[in-house]
Amino acid sequence: MKLKVWGARGSIPAPGPETTRYGGNTSCVQVTLDDGSTLVLDAGTGIRNLGLAMQGFTGSLHILLTHLHLDHIQGLMFFAPMFEPGAEITVWGPASPEASLLDRIARYISAPLAPIEVRELPCHVSFREAQTTEWDIGPARIHAASVTHRGPTLGYRIECDGTSLCYLPDHEPGLGTTLADLEPEWISGYDLAHDATVLLHDSQYTDDEYPAHMGWGHSPLKDALTFGHCTGVERLVLFHHDPLHSDDFLDALSGQAITRWQELGGRADQVELAAERREIVLTPAAIGGT
Amino acid sequence: MTSQEQRPLELILARNLLSNLSTPAVLVNGAGDALFYNEAAGALFGRRFEDTGVMPAEEWTRMYGPLDDDGEPIPLDEAPLTVALRSNRAAHVRHRIRSVDGTMHPIEASGVPVVGASGFQGAMVFFWPVPEEAR
Repeated sequence: MKLKVWGARGSIPAPGPETTRYGGNTSCVQVTLDDGSTLVLDAGTGIRNLGLAMQGFTGSLHILLTHLHLDHIQGLMFFAPMFEPGAEITVWGPASPEASLLDRIARYISAPLAPIEVRELPCHVSFREAQTTEWDIGPARIHAASVTHRGPTLGYRIECDGTSLCYLPDHEPGLGTTLADLEPEWISGYDLAHDATVLLHDSQYTDDEYPAHMGWGHSPLKDALTFGHCTGVERLVLFHHDPLHSDDFLDALSGQAITRWQELGGRADQVELAAERREIVLTPAAIGGT
Repeated sequence: MTSQEQRPLELILARNLLSNLSTPAVLVNGAGDALFYNEAAGALFGRRFEDTGVMPAEEWTRMYGPLDDDGEPIPLDEAPLTVALRSNRAAHVRHRIRSVDGTMHPIEASGVPVVGASGFQGAMVFFWPVPEEAR
């Protein structure tokens, strides 16, 4: 299994000279399974560049949406395979008691917010509410569970050929509690992340910034590190960077993250900040980066 | 995945809420087991949750109640609060509870079912002291 980050920014795209290295596109991660098939985690603006790399795509692919905040769906109608008649796309997302997944997404892909309607997309697209359970896509086992964020939000765990990837881009497990003091059964997302080969986890705020944003559904660095440590992940990739955080700022934050991860007993090479175009190959015995 | 079953998110969030309240409150599951009680409830009971952990329904009702006005135990399955919550209804009742030191506390209890995407998960039960003039 291999992952490639196409967007690691949170909230809103942040293009500009200050964000060229970590990137300004919002959440999107490509997962290539061992049989060559593709899963896409979230459809933030990063999915547009992924689509450009998939021009002429035919066949099936699955897009797993964690939730429907704009920074996770904004790129959906700019994803080139959506306009390929030979593409068969299944969009998975959280259920809601209020309306179907299709109806909720169609609020964005419709007038007056968009020039097209879902039914006009040339591809074969279907929308499926992901149950908080397990199912198979190709050679991968998918686990979905509700996690702490604002509104219905899923986290995903993808298991394939002895490796596991956990994706929790928007997650505030420490809301109203002290993570380090909790038993695992009381930690949101614990089962999804437990012993994962790679965990991509929300780390939008510094510890100093967090009090002013408590309850917004995102984690401070402290909680991201504690969550990664207590779930026993092999590698922690910090994700969903705040749009105000420049490359230089994130470089400094990366240094802090590594130091504090080591203080928790981890190795320096186990933690990093996600950056656009970063690729990580997951293997049972070792993890390699390119 | 873990061998220990993850609690439903609705209960996790309910516990986080109760742990930050100064109103005595207990989080119970569908079977009536006390999954958590907060510091204020611990002060009322005379024992902290950290010292007891999760308590099966029989154990915590035997220790703390509910009790009627004569101090006799009210069977959990017959308690109006239990009946209402298991029917997915909120309820407000008056009864007594007993601290570990034997002190009797007349209280009013409000129970609110916790219902998530998967249905009834448990309930939050809040305890309100009965004013002296109303006892």
